Amino acid sequence: MSKELNLWLDDLLKDIKIIQFKRKNSRRVRIDIAPEALPALLELLQGRASYVHLSAISCVDWIEDDEFELVYHVWSYETNSLVSAHTRISREPGVYLSVYDLYTPAAFFERDIHEMFGLYFEGSPDMEKFILTEWNGPPPMRKDFDSEAFVNQTFNWEEYHPQWLKDIEAEGGGITTRPEDVR
Amino acid sequence: MNELDKIPVRQEISVAEGNVKRSNPLANVFDELVRFCQSRSMFMLHYCTGCGAIELPPAMTSRFDMERLGIQPMVTPRQADILLITGYVSVKTLKRIILTYEQMPSPKYVIGICSCTVNGGMYWQSYATAKVLKEYLPVDIYIAGCMPRPEAVISGLRDLMGDIKSGRADNWKRYFQNYDHYLGNQQQLFGEDWQTPTDIIAEAEHYGLMTDQTLGEHTALLQKHQQPLEALEFSLGEKREKIQGENPREKNNE
Repeated sequence: MSKELNLWLDDLLKDIKIIQFKRKNSRRVRIDIAPEALPALLELLQGRASYVHLSAISCVDWIEDDEFELVYHVWSYETNSLVSAHTRISREPGVYLSVYDLYTPAAFFERDIHEMFGLYFEGSPDMEKFILTEWNGPPPMRKDFDSEAFVNQTFNWEEYHPQWLKDIEAEGGGITTRPEDVR
Repeated sequence: MNELDKIPVRQEISVAEGNVKRSNPLANVFDELVRFCQSRSMFMLHYCTGCGAIELPPAMTSRFDMERLGIQPMVTPRQADILLITGYVSVKTLKRIILTYEQMPSPKYVIGICSCTVNGGMYWQSYATAKVLKEYLPVDIYIAGCMPRPEAVISGLRDLMGDIKSGRADNWKRYFQNYDHYLGNQQQLFGEDWQTPTDIIAEAEHYGLMTDQTLGEHTALLQKHQQPLEALEFSLGEKREKIQGENPREKNNE
């Protein structure tokens, strides 16, 4: 049954000219779509094909292209398959529409993406801080945030070869097997 | 009664090899006994911050059986001796750890398990984790490894027991003695308005552990904005009547 439904859905989706459709296997479909049309596609999938479960929204920062890629993963319990709808939006100003009216859990994912990437979702109920309540810096998952430089600037390091170890080594003790000997 | 003051009090102090010995010959014995008892009955608060916590259930339960050494898990910081920090410490968690640590009664001991507490471990590049735990708290023993096996955990705890027995494990005093240093590191991470509900300076006075390192520029900054703790209002009669009066259901019954 579910295979037959999938075939029908494939035929229907292939007919839509503005999207790129690709079936990866019997349970996964990839769709590339323009940002203006994505909410309409999700509404279609939810209302007409019972893709009722929004599993996640993931975000990728393509800094060379100056774009964010948003991936909406929706699952259908009827056809037992996952549709990943990919869309790309401009990095500046980084504003997009919320799908909270279609999928309530989107509020959490959008709030998380806003915190990690600085991408603003219009119409989302809450864009306040979510997990990083004590973070005042730039959104840390952006590619232009240099985590290593931040860490070196903020934190001190423990010495790897401290004096007490040198004292032990002077007496003939110390680390018997160094990591580079094992590797 | 005033004559009592006139009786000369003489304390015999014999200096041998630079050590000041007390006149009571039993004092040392008694201290040793107390320390022995302390080392044999330790209640452990395991603050499971990271993945190292997964090694504790086998260390506590029948296979490796920590309890044969007298170490038991405890549910509240107010009754715990050891604070076990297992794994990476995010900045957010560190706040909670410091609150927990300050609530524990002295003497208290901190054990840092896993490489992450030593130097950030595999999360050294992360913006969210604090790297060197001993900058913020006095750590008694580190058990390195990613993750240390239960044998290593128990070996580390035995080392701590040995330290307590011989009286070397007095790092908890350092928190009071060098409070300015620790507070400075905490303020660097949490901002200048950082304040815990425990008044460490008053406790240091109480324990007689005030040194010239206890107070400094960081504690001065703390005292500038510190709000004194106020006891919760405790009243039974008036408040209850008030609440009952506001209850609409009772009004209807009347």
